[in-house]
Amino acid sequence: MGIGHEERRDEDLMAQIATGDEEAFRQLIERHQDRVYGTVAKMLGGTGPDVEELAQEIFLRVWRAAPKYQVKAKFTTWLMTITRNLVFTFFESKGRKREELHEIPETEDDFAEGKGGCWKRTPADELSGKELLAAIARACAELPKAQRMVVHLRQYEGMEFEEISQVMGMSLTAAKALMFRARENLRDKLSGYFGASN
Amino acid sequence: MNKKRNEQGEEGLGRELEGLLAFVPPPKAPAWFAAKTLARLRAEKREKRGGWLRIPHWRWLAAGLGVALLLVGILRPDRASLQISDAEVYAALNALVQEDEESRWWAGL
Repeated sequence: MGIGHEERRDEDLMAQIATGDEEAFRQLIERHQDRVYGTVAKMLGGTGPDVEELAQEIFLRVWRAAPKYQVKAKFTTWLMTITRNLVFTFFESKGRKREELHEIPETEDDFAEGKGGCWKRTPADELSGKELLAAIARACAELPKAQRMVVHLRQYEGMEFEEISQVMGMSLTAAKALMFRARENLRDKLSGYFGASN
Repeated sequence: MNKKRNEQGEEGLGRELEGLLAFVPPPKAPAWFAAKTLARLRAEKREKRGGWLRIPHWRWLAAGLGVALLLVGILRPDRASLQISDAEVYAALNALVQEDEESRWWAGL
């Protein structure tokens, strides 16, 4: 697995963070905050205090783990592994279904107000309607958490299956099987909208 | 990236689903996120530094007091003197009898 320029810089930052350098920590946060925050928000089904707190906790874990950090994989793979662990632990500790964590926007006004958190008005709103966005959000939110995570890592983080399997702590085959099931679930729920994106 | 995934065919989500999901990108972190995270880190550091020394930890005081009392109870040096000899018991009984007799004499009984 090749380690690119950015990853080397991440590792340099981690080495500095291990010495207690807060400025290096700030740089690392600013570089990866959208990735972590976006992942947590997608997993919890919207934005809100829980998302922000959990995303902060992930970075604090990075700070605490910095002295023991060893380069075994891409930094982002390691970061996403921490993210996955904390998000799944959050679900378990709360002991409630994801649907209860944040309301899934139901109405067009909810979307207009950005209640769903994941939503921004885009030209797609005009092309295919807010109903489509609501259906996509609902379909994603209804996926089991492992499937949702795999879809997110693949779709929005652009990860290879090898990386996804590392993040999820499972075999390559298992990761692909999860993706297969997620795809089938999403197709079932969204088949009526195929073609809307063209 | 999308092209790369689409070329892998059925391993990914497929072109149509990817197109749909692209409509709802993940939200970005708020502008204050880094600052708030650093503030939380500093607060944790402060708490950790002062944790042992600050006195609101009344539990430490209570536990210390409890342990001290326990040790005093266990190691009390004059513990052996709690034993009373037979002679002391008889002497005390004799004193009681004598006092009773004197009381009766004064009462003219």
